[in-house]
Amino acid sequence: MIVETVTLLTMMLFALLVIHSRMLRQAVIHLAVFSLLTAFLYLLLAAPELAIAEAAIGSGLVTLLYLASLKRNPVYTIAVLAEGHSYRMTNAYLGYMQHMRAMRDIRHFFRRREYEPQIVFSEKTLEEALQFPSFDLVIREEKEGISAHGSSQSYILEELEMMFIIHGTGSNINIVRHDVRMEGQ
Amino acid sequence: MINNSRSVQDLPEQSLILEVVIGFLYPFMLLLGFFIILNGHHSPGGGFQGGSVLAALFIARYIVFPVHDISNDIMHIFQRIFLAMILLTPMLLLFSGFIHRNPEFRSWYLLMMNILIGLQVGLELGVAVLRFAFFEGVGKTWHL
Repeated sequence: MIVETVTLLTMMLFALLVIHSRMLRQAVIHLAVFSLLTAFLYLLLAAPELAIAEAAIGSGLVTLLYLASLKRNPVYTIAVLAEGHSYRMTNAYLGYMQHMRAMRDIRHFFRRREYEPQIVFSEKTLEEALQFPSFDLVIREEKEGISAHGSSQSYILEELEMMFIIHGTGSNINIVRHDVRMEGQ
Repeated sequence: MINNSRSVQDLPEQSLILEVVIGFLYPFMLLLGFFIILNGHHSPGGGFQGGSVLAALFIARYIVFPVHDISNDIMHIFQRIFLAMILLTPMLLLFSGFIHRNPEFRSWYLLMMNILIGLQVGLELGVAVLRFAFFEGVGKTWHL
């Protein structure tokens, strides 16, 4: 009795986590745990056949399917440059950059389009960072606001620019599009 | 080069953890799948449950080794053959009264049906998931 109650409550917790997690991958893993708990509950309620099916399909196949379809929903890496100023790479500076208004806007933009924004800090120069394969957007702090650099072939950057034109931002942000040649194009 | 969103690579091509864990679990999963199928008629389990374990095995294998050494079409044809056999076996054995006249063959009949259903479900789910992975833009290399 007590085990069933605890299982049900944990299932509720994981169901809420699935709904409220902001990262889709996390939600999928929570869904798998939820499914496993459902299988355990079936076992407690003396339905072992259903438990086996639920464990194999719910937490095995469905999780794989979701993860495979999430491949179309990739992680978007935003690189923040502290070029030539390695003394800047302190925790205070990182916190300041992460809570800046423009950075919050950018992250919100990607979240709303269901991308997973990932912010990295790098000591590369702008040229190196633009050539680096896993950086999708490069952000550098200038004297007047910040500037965002990206490929001219990226349609996401175009949408980001449109959003800044339509909604405006509190801080100066200046989007620069570089003509970087893509592989195979 | 700057990647656009379509070619972002957030993970390395082959995850070592997945490779080692799936390689270790592979024979046990195979054993578990056939155990569930073969003991379905007198203990929990059966064709469908064991078949889905086998399908998970197919997919795990494909994730670790994304090679197309088994063609989807051949799997599909075999799945159809097993489906036809699932329909034919009761017609020939059960509805003709053979099992009724010889009750000592009943557990053999159930075992045979379990094996057929297990193989059919395994192939069918495997084909469905692999086709989904292939056509939904994930392509030939599919790493989670």
